[in-house]
Amino acid sequence: MRRYGPWIALFVVVGVVLAILLWPGGGQSAAARAHALASELKCQECQGLSVADSNAPTSVAIRADIKRRIARGQSDAQIRQVYVDRYGEQILLSPRGSGLGLIVWVLPVVAIALGAAGIWFALTRGRREPRLHASRADEVLVDRQRGAHT
Amino acid sequence: MKHPARWIALTAGAVVVVLGVILALNVGNDPELESEQNRLLGHAAPAFNLQTLTGTHVSSASLAGKSVIVNFWNTWCIPCRQELPELKKFYDAHASDPDFAMVGIVRDAQASTSAIAEYVKDEQMGWTIALDPDARAALDFGTRGQPETFAISPQGEIVGFQIARVTRSNLEKMLDYARGAT
Amino acid sequence: MKAALGYAAIAIGGSASLVGVGALLAGLRMHDALLLRIGRRCVFVVFGAALAAVAVMEWALITHDFSLKYVAENNARGTPLLFSITGLWAALAGSILLWAVILGGYLAFVTHKFRRRSRDPLVVVATITGLVVALFFFALMLGPANPFTTLSTVPVDGRGPNPLLQDHILMAFHPPMLYLGLVGFTVPFMFAIGALVTGRFGEGWLADTRRSTLVAWGFLTIGIILGAWWSYEVLGWGGFWAWDPVENASLLPWITGTAFIHSVMVQERRGMLRVWNLSLVISTFCLTILGTFLTRSGVIDSVHAFTESDIGPWLLTFLGVVAITGIGLLAWRGDRLRAPGRIDAVVSRESAFLANNLLFAGFAFVVLLGTVFPLIAEALRGTQLSVGEPYFDRMTTPIGLALLFLMAVAPALPWRATSGEVLRRRLLVPAWAGAITMVVAVACGARGVAEVLAYGLGAFATAGIIRQFVLGVRGRRRALGESRTVALGRATRSNPRLYGGLIVHFGVVLIAVTLAVSSAYGANREVHLKRGQSAVVSGYTLTYLGTHVVPTEQKTTISADVRIRRGDRDLGVYAPAISTFPNSTEGIGTPSVRTGLTEDVYLTLVSSPTNGRITLGVRINVMILWLWIGGGFMALGTILALAPRLRRRPRATPVASGEAGLEPEPADALEEVPA
Repeated sequence: MRRYGPWIALFVVVGVVLAILLWPGGGQSAAARAHALASELKCQECQGLSVADSNAPTSVAIRADIKRRIARGQSDAQIRQVYVDRYGEQILLSPRGSGLGLIVWVLPVVAIALGAAGIWFALTRGRREPRLHASRADEVLVDRQRGAHT
Repeated sequence: MKHPARWIALTAGAVVVVLGVILALNVGNDPELESEQNRLLGHAAPAFNLQTLTGTHVSSASLAGKSVIVNFWNTWCIPCRQELPELKKFYDAHASDPDFAMVGIVRDAQASTSAIAEYVKDEQMGWTIALDPDARAALDFGTRGQPETFAISPQGEIVGFQIARVTRSNLEKMLDYARGAT
Repeated sequence: MKAALGYAAIAIGGSASLVGVGALLAGLRMHDALLLRIGRRCVFVVFGAALAAVAVMEWALITHDFSLKYVAENNARGTPLLFSITGLWAALAGSILLWAVILGGYLAFVTHKFRRRSRDPLVVVATITGLVVALFFFALMLGPANPFTTLSTVPVDGRGPNPLLQDHILMAFHPPMLYLGLVGFTVPFMFAIGALVTGRFGEGWLADTRRSTLVAWGFLTIGIILGAWWSYEVLGWGGFWAWDPVENASLLPWITGTAFIHSVMVQERRGMLRVWNLSLVISTFCLTILGTFLTRSGVIDSVHAFTESDIGPWLLTFLGVVAITGIGLLAWRGDRLRAPGRIDAVVSRESAFLANNLLFAGFAFVVLLGTVFPLIAEALRGTQLSVGEPYFDRMTTPIGLALLFLMAVAPALPWRATSGEVLRRRLLVPAWAGAITMVVAVACGARGVAEVLAYGLGAFATAGIIRQFVLGVRGRRRALGESRTVALGRATRSNPRLYGGLIVHFGVVLIAVTLAVSSAYGANREVHLKRGQSAVVSGYTLTYLGTHVVPTEQKTTISADVRIRRGDRDLGVYAPAISTFPNSTEGIGTPSVRTGLTEDVYLTLVSSPTNGRITLGVRINVMILWLWIGGGFMALGTILALAPRLRRRPRATPVASGEAGLEPEPADALEEVPA
């Protein structure tokens, strides 16, 4: 117990911290919501910047429009849909998790899981198949040695 | 598995070939060109209700039944200035048509209303000028900048769209689309 | 005349690479020493020719010779000397020339280094591979990307470089460093092909290329960090990494290169992962070519993209050939590369490196998929999709945190196997350091899970690093009685790979923590000010003093002077600006940054002053300075890791048996001194 004492205490501390962080606290403020939504939309006049980061006139207008819509009570999903209707799916900087966009979210997870499984099998193969059989090359080697001594 | 390396190599090779084909198909495409489409083409025009320079209002309802040309512009962008003569010639040719309407929607964060009014007077822009200070109409129409020009049929459908500076012939074509659409 | 000279130089370079390939192939076949020697000489001719072409181009740029199309497009009479010189890499054709000359340099260095093994088939095949790559790039310059095309009517003045490329001194460093890194990965690739073709895939080719790989990796790291610095100081959007496709293109080979640097240690120690390491090296090289393709083919919309697209099919074909050749060779030889050793335990240094590689491979996969997915979506369904920062951040954050964890734990893991007790003893103090840091962070108000985990894991890793240094110093002091400073110096120099690596890790920790902090805090406001008016943002008082206009031959700059004060302290006058260049309609904004230890005040001029009023963009960015400091540590650590090992001076008298225990064995590379 003495060996593990400090470690148990450590996990308790970290657990408490994580619980505090993950506890569903008060919702986001309107400003935070507006900023989060603006960072998900692509500026339509720039090269790859988000609406939150760019100072192009349309981006400024979109930021103001988002604020108005939040004040009117629209949900994040509704606001996103409004912009997809007007500008197409390309305005979303993060593909939606349905339809074709699902690929980008699922494929990497699948790939890493497959890789981990592959490594696991390779690691445990050593235990499961001990090399008890001599290969042909081993036999030849032994014969040669025998032949050398007779 | 016998010869795992061969199988892995085969899979990797297949992925590389697929990726290569996709990249090859895209070589020569200009990604910017495709972003110049407007999603609303062929769909109902968004409703709008804006105050004009003269103090009245113009709305999509008030223009129903007419073929409408909507031009988004501002006082400082160079293509906007360049297209003004073409717009004026076009408007003069059709101003007396009863089924025709033209609205210039200006969204200008920098110029005040009086500055816009002065500009309109100096440039002798005879058509209805609507003010869109919040850019609501600009966003509703899915514009990405200025100038952008739309053609709306009498049934309220967007039948034509052009980004950047318009020419007289394009304006005529857009009007024909609007009139021809049933 | 210059055009003819330059083109002739390129033609000589191309021919020399072709001749070299032929001579070496024939010499290898027929075991003819003379042919091999000719082949080697050709390498130096290639390098000389590339140098000559560069010299001609620089001469043309500096003397503003507009009869050359490239100079007319990328230089003007008003261009300052520095940006005339950097004009060499300002556009497509010149950048290929830069690539070719750096490649020539690396090839010449390798040929010189292995001159005593010039008849070794491995070295010969490697040289042939290198020359084939050089031949490709010279062929590009002889064909679609000719830097020496002439204009029939010579313009009076040139167009000048792209305004963004004549704004800042970083233009002199970022591209060359990046290319030194990207091109440098050709060296391990050459030797990997050599190893596969000759069937000598033991550890020889690794040992031969270890330093070159580390040098290339170091340059690429510095190049990427300078790119981030440039994005921050020059582009004016207030950030330093946008997951722009071209940024990703330079990151991809860095990711696989980092994976390789780690997994190489497993092969050195245990002879395992041979096929995997060969695949990593070949992939890294392919990714450098893919990156070149993405940047230059116009396939993807990007800030960086060079506009010409003629070169796309060439690069894609070359990439295809290289990839298929590499895969083919691996398929042919792969199954004979079975390692003699096996992984003994799940918890060991070897499996930590496997986990490291898995995570890096996943990281590379995410970045690659996100970058090309818009193309895939377009090809499959015709829809336009975007993949941007929110996606990359969300996918790479867990991977980054897992890597931080490994960084903390792996150095404490012994090779082969360990007991739980050893591990617990080694990790207890650093783990508590991490836990306490998390508590302090939450107490100070941090609320993001990933953010706080980053702080905790960063502290965990740092404590582990400090622990290694302390043990190394303590071991020497006990055994040799040296003073602390001397012990530190000697310890690091007798095991430079270990301590260099630890310093690089510390730099990574700094960068990771800074990323966490800067994305969680900061402010972004636009203020409208009349002359003399002030605004307060996050405790800083900003006063607009006035504008001044500076016209030069190169550009006209309108800057707004803003005084920054914090409380009572005057922090100085900063001047964000907008510059207009004679041959370009758009104005280029230049931000002005007041760099502080914990906060930067980032000012941009949103629009030219009208009626005495300006719109000032004010961002308060947190801890950005530590990104560059972290990069500095990474560079320092790499330099240390490249240093030769300090060997103990041999004793003058034979050791008497009684004294044998006093001198400890030199700590084995990469293994800590037993605690």
